[in-house]
Amino acid sequence: MTTELLRQKTGRYICGLSLPSEKRQIQTWLSCTDHKQQLSQEEREAIENEIVAQVQAYVVSTLFEPKPESWWKKVTAFF
Amino acid sequence: MRRNFTPDQTLIDKLLLDDTTAIEELSRRYCYPLYSYCMSKLNSKEDSKKIVRNIFISLWESRSTLPIDFSISTHLYTEVRRAVIQCINIKLNKEIDVPAIEEGIIPGFSITELIKAKLPIHHTKESNDQTSLVNKGSYEELSQENKPAFKIKELKHSLQKMLNLW
Repeated sequence: MTTELLRQKTGRYICGLSLPSEKRQIQTWLSCTDHKQQLSQEEREAIENEIVAQVQAYVVSTLFEPKPESWWKKVTAFF
Repeated sequence: MRRNFTPDQTLIDKLLLDDTTAIEELSRRYCYPLYSYCMSKLNSKEDSKKIVRNIFISLWESRSTLPIDFSISTHLYTEVRRAVIQCINIKLNKEIDVPAIEEGIIPGFSITELIKAKLPIHHTKESNDQTSLVNKGSYEELSQENKPAFKIKELKHSLQKMLNLW
C-alpha cells in the first residue's frame, strides 16, 4: 500500500464512505494489539501523571470560566 | 499513588455534578491503556499523549449529554480508534512524518500482519514469568496457610488417650 492510497482510505473511513472491504481492513488493523514495548513502572507513572495533569488543568479552567450552556443541555442534564 | 475502587458508573454520575475528582480518577484508570494502544499504532509519544488528553477533555465537555446506559470503556476505545485514524489522515494530508508512516504504519496493513489479529493472544515471556512468580508465591503462601496444625498420628494418639481415660 502507498501513502496516497492510505490517505484516501482513511479519509473515506472518517467520512463513513469507505467500501466494506476497506472498512474491514482498517478495523482489523485497529484490532491488532501487538504491544512491542513494555515501559517500566516509573515511566508509566510519569506518562500517567503528565496526561492527568493536563486534563486537570483544562477541567479546572472550564470551572472558573464556564461556557454558556444551551437550554437543551440543561434540560437533558436535569432528566 | 492513590487509587479507589469506585465503580465507573458512580464516577460518571459524579461527572454530571461537575465533580473534578471523578474525571481525574477516570483518566488515571484509563490513560495508560489508551496511551499504550496509541503508541502501538502511531509510534509517536506526543501524538499519543495528545489523543488521550483530548479524549478525556471531550468526555468532560460532553458530560451533560451522556446516555444513561453509558459504557465508559466502550466509549473510550471507540474514540481512541477513531482518533488514531484521524491522526494518520491529518498527517498524510499535511505530509508530516510521511517516512515514519511508510516504515511504521503501512507494513501493518499487509495480509500477513492483519492475519495476526485473528490469532489467539500469546503472552510474552516476561509476563509469563511474572505470572508464574505470582502464582508460585500465592501457592506457597496458601499451602502454608492450609497446612494442618497437627499431624494425623498425633490426633490418633490423643484420641486413644482420651478413650483410655474414659
